[in-house]
Amino acid sequence: MSNSQTMGVATKRAYVVAIAVILFFWQVAAWFLPDFLMPDVHTAILRLWEELNSAEFYEGLGNSMTRLGAGYGAALFFGILLGLVGGTINAVRSPLKAAIIILQSIPSIAWVPLFLILMGFGNLPIIVVVAIGAFFPTALSVMNATESVEKVHISAARVMGASKVQMLRRVYFPAVTPELITGAQLAFGNAWRALISAEMIVGFSAGLGKSLAYSGEIADMTGVMTNILVIAILAAVIDQVILERIKHRLLRYQYL
Amino acid sequence: MELTFSDVTKSFGDLNVIEYFSTTIRTGEIVALLGPSGCGKSTLLHMLAGLQTPSTGTLTAGGKRIEKPSPERTLVFQEHALYPWLTLAGNVALALEFQNTPKQVALAEAQKWLTKVELAGFEHYYPHQVSGGMRQRCALARAFIARPQVLLLDEPFGALDALTRMTLQSVLKDLIEEERPTVVLVTHDVDEALYLADRVLVFSNRPATVLSEIELGHMPKTHDLSAFADIRRDVLNKLGIDTDTTPAQAEAIGETV
Repeated sequence: MSNSQTMGVATKRAYVVAIAVILFFWQVAAWFLPDFLMPDVHTAILRLWEELNSAEFYEGLGNSMTRLGAGYGAALFFGILLGLVGGTINAVRSPLKAAIIILQSIPSIAWVPLFLILMGFGNLPIIVVVAIGAFFPTALSVMNATESVEKVHISAARVMGASKVQMLRRVYFPAVTPELITGAQLAFGNAWRALISAEMIVGFSAGLGKSLAYSGEIADMTGVMTNILVIAILAAVIDQVILERIKHRLLRYQYL
Repeated sequence: MELTFSDVTKSFGDLNVIEYFSTTIRTGEIVALLGPSGCGKSTLLHMLAGLQTPSTGTLTAGGKRIEKPSPERTLVFQEHALYPWLTLAGNVALALEFQNTPKQVALAEAQKWLTKVELAGFEHYYPHQVSGGMRQRCALARAFIARPQVLLLDEPFGALDALTRMTLQSVLKDLIEEERPTVVLVTHDVDEALYLADRVLVFSNRPATVLSEIELGHMPKTHDLSAFADIRRDVLNKLGIDTDTTPAQAEAIGETV
């Protein structure tokens, strides 16, 4: 519809303005600071271009995306599962919710020392930390949404003879989808932050976070800013393009 | 399918909603349960659907005790029972898909029933895009598509304006005449009960007891209710509305009841 389209254009314009303002302040800082402390925007962009043509960059990107995919994917799976269970079974709901509220206040990065010793130096502790970051918002949003599924929608399915599996798949799941997507977008932000920080600390094999930490260690500020640029662009693309597309696709009926 | 209530009682905590209710509804009969809001008639209907269980007493359908919902006893709700994430066709087809009918077959059948309730052309609309009357037409199609032996209606047109309600009552009457299910209609609309039912049970306020039972089987089914004038006056009197007074006075009395 025309209304949502004009809103889309306005949003895009807002993003362009925001990016221009951020780059402007970066450039102002670069003018005042010496090059070894703050590189020019175009220097970083040139470095980014070089990186895009190097195999090392893709190795790091691939590793990071694999960890993100595994951690975020596991968090969505278990978050939806536990959210549905907690939302439908009264005895489980309150304790589970309380546990989530307590645990989610712990920054997921705080688990790194424990998991490093528990699971050893490797991909697993990073993946688990990513999963922890993404699990809580997913589980909470699904649980809250499941609780508030309209009674009449459940009764209607029961009188039409829906089996338990059909009820879950055809009634509960679509009913909680709007809130699930909001939760999943929140969860993605958590997962992304957890991924980069865990990679910076753990420093196991190539990755976006490790590459950033390494640039800092060798005082390569162009490298630091280039890595930050990559992290920002990727997050924006995944959230605003991929997740938004999926959202519009799944919730098409709401946009008519 | 014959439906029976024997000594059915229902209470929620200390609140007795229904006390020792018994009746038999014959196969193919159309019975209206008429009474004030909150008198427990919806509870009776939900027990027939198997959505609620009686505190004491038993309900049977076709000689078998009702313990859980079954697609042969379907229920039409007042409103908001369509799934907002499905199109009208998707909503109607879902009733068959729950019976494991393949999706394409179910959609083709849904198309037929949507045409019957004069919704052809609106298959791909979502419930929020159409009027309340159209949503209830769709709800009727969804109920009839599974060919239920028992049709339970819980104030199906209660949220509609008077004119739309009368049109929908005609649509419902035609569908019932075609499919001949056993029908139990819960309503607080006297005219709706008189228009659709073979037999009307008039309920008192909580706990629900039957004030009067009216056989209408021989009466013509028409929206011209002049033939029903005496019965209508009788029913209104039973419900505590004084028909000798002016409407304004009646309203005032209705409020104090």
